[in-house]
Amino acid sequence: MRHYETVYIINPNLADEACAEVVTKFGTLVENNKGVVIRIDEWGKRDLAYNINKFNKGYYVLMQFCGEPGITVEVHRQLGLDDNILKFQTILLSQNADAEALKAAAEEEKAEKTAQPTETPASTEDEGKDGE
Amino acid sequence: MANNRKYNRSSPNTGGRFRRTFHRRKVCKFCADASLAIDYKDVRVLKYFTTERGKITPRRISGNCAKHQRQLTVAIKRARNIALLPYTTSIVR
Repeated sequence: MRHYETVYIINPNLADEACAEVVTKFGTLVENNKGVVIRIDEWGKRDLAYNINKFNKGYYVLMQFCGEPGITVEVHRQLGLDDNILKFQTILLSQNADAEALKAAAEEEKAEKTAQPTETPASTEDEGKDGE
Repeated sequence: MANNRKYNRSSPNTGGRFRRTFHRRKVCKFCADASLAIDYKDVRVLKYFTTERGKITPRRISGNCAKHQRQLTVAIKRARNIALLPYTTSIVR
């Protein structure tokens, strides 16, 4: 299986619910094409470096997935058909990827991220004590 | 003329014909710091290696090694494509 990474930009004026709908739509699209979604990262609204379709902002979504080589053809076709997608880009991360191992690693990372905020305040407290 | 030649010989860093007025960092940033990864999504790192106008800084200025410069150019071009970095910054109208 190949490991791909797609970044796509959604219309920034879209409501939050509609946005989430688009994200899940492409997640299921990958799964319907015998692919495995590794992770979906929503970066949120960001300023674009240049205007796209007269928009200067965009809602960025990063999607990593695994699949057979033909999978990107269908994903790209659907991304192109969707009017709410301003732009997209796919990058091949690796030729032979183990989808399940990657998924486990992604989930572990996610768990770490949620655990981190509790750790960081403790470290700042320590720094404060050193200063005193 | 004679004075000039004398000056060149006495300064060890000039190495003959070319006399440089300031020192350049010669170490590749990515070689020196292994934790610094080249990723097209990491705009802060990439921006450091572009000029104010959005051009990629040449190797002779940034001091990168060939391998990392190659990876960097690809990353910057990818970032440009997905509108994380500008192609050019002459948007003022």
